[in-house]
Amino acid sequence: MSQELLLTVNNIDVHYGSLQVLWDVSIEVNSGEIVAIAGANGAGKSTLLKTISGVMHPSRGSIEFSGTNITDMHAYDIVGLGISQVPEGRQLFPDMSVEQNLVIGSYNRTARDKKEENLARVYELFPVLEERKKQLAKTLSGGEQQMVAIGRGLMANPRLMIIDEMSLGLSPLIVSDLFRVLHEIRERGITILLVEQNVWQSLHEANRAYVIEAGHIVLSGNALELMEEDEIRDAYFGA
Amino acid sequence: MELLNDLLSPIVIGILLGGLYVVLALGLSLVFGVLKIINVAHGTLVIFGSYFAFTALTRFGIDPILGLVIGVPVFFLLGILMEKYLLNRAVKKSADAALIITFGIALIIENGAQIIWTPMSRSLLTGYSFESFQIGDLYIPLVYMLDFIAALVVMVILHQFLTRTYLGQAITAASQDRKTSELMGINPNRVFQIAFGIAMALAMVAGVFFGLTFPFNPTTGENLLIIAFGVIILGGLGSMVGTFVGGMIFGLSQTLGGYFFGPTGQLLVPFLMVLVVLTIRPQGLFGR
Repeated sequence: MSQELLLTVNNIDVHYGSLQVLWDVSIEVNSGEIVAIAGANGAGKSTLLKTISGVMHPSRGSIEFSGTNITDMHAYDIVGLGISQVPEGRQLFPDMSVEQNLVIGSYNRTARDKKEENLARVYELFPVLEERKKQLAKTLSGGEQQMVAIGRGLMANPRLMIIDEMSLGLSPLIVSDLFRVLHEIRERGITILLVEQNVWQSLHEANRAYVIEAGHIVLSGNALELMEEDEIRDAYFGA
Repeated sequence: MELLNDLLSPIVIGILLGGLYVVLALGLSLVFGVLKIINVAHGTLVIFGSYFAFTALTRFGIDPILGLVIGVPVFFLLGILMEKYLLNRAVKKSADAALIITFGIALIIENGAQIIWTPMSRSLLTGYSFESFQIGDLYIPLVYMLDFIAALVVMVILHQFLTRTYLGQAITAASQDRKTSELMGINPNRVFQIAFGIAMALAMVAGVFFGLTFPFNPTTGENLLIIAFGVIILGGLGSMVGTFVGGMIFGLSQTLGGYFFGPTGQLLVPFLMVLVVLTIRPQGLFGR
């Protein structure tokens, strides 16, 4: 797979009002990679994702996606460029059916033409969703909801999929199943940026990782090598 | 048997009248569902629609129902402009700010109507205004039947639009979770404008059928707002089936209230129903 630089976050500072949560954060994501942002609760992981997807904007620094400066773009415009986000807590539309939730994922102009194709692909990845396509999203189990959320992200026809806390609240069995699907998705050419509180799991699944602590990137590199770092072992694995 | 026979007329009229209340309430419900604001101008905008049709009828001889071909797009555009230039910024600040603005819109239109059309009571009088048809022993005024047909047509179109088109699904999604809808590429400003435009188009339709059914004056809108609230409370917000059932209950309790308790019961009974529903099921019969 060609290693084109897909996403660059250059030295961003991000504030919630007057409270600064990210300091001088820089990351890079190449196409075809799975990159993990690992860190404890409250370290600023979700804020970083929200800033990339345009929900929040940095007070300093810039973000480039595939050569386009997206620093100050609206979230709803960024989707069409090829970044989709699977938000923390799934955030499905509760009173819409499974299929309606998936189809609304293809709302952006570039994805509409590929609606049928992408829908077939989602049902192929998650056959259970096809069985439940008429069911209201709020009636699904947590694992199924996460499948819909990932499927909805795929419907946007993304080049980069950002996945926030996918495994939160799900059983280990379901989580490993979902990771298997993520690898399939990656093999089809979609780059994945994921955030997990479960540092061990995310390092295990990713090619590269950034470790974030109190709003700063403290470590980065090859995920397998990071797992060997003493600092990481002490801080996150308790070993 | 005698009683049943006597009751047939208020029941049928109540159901047909309920259709009018459904159309009246749909616009209010849509705006609340999507923009999360209470549009207290809704009733006045409905009457504005009645006056619009009144002028088209008396000046140019345009039939009110046929005139909807012009009235609906005009009101739709008016709605988009009102949202864009009057409500949008307020909606983002707070629900209170938007509420006050809609109150201001109501005052301006109400007083404007006093000046333009005088405080006199008007009606949309057409060739079919006093026609009725007979089923068994029952005489049904044609306009009541039209009210009900209008409700069905509006509901089917609105339902198809909301469930089968990207724009309709965007409105539905934004009403359920605005923040996440932006992650789908949905521009909330656009959704707000379209939703308010549709609500205005619905107000126009309601205005025509209300004007065909009852006389109106510039302050009638205040009562319509309260009726629309009643219908929504009965049925539950955000549910089109609920709004339909709410309209039916409101219409029925009005005519049956009138039958059993005389003219004073006509509005007393529906609002007693509203109170009962609020007590035992505050989210409305079909509310979530």
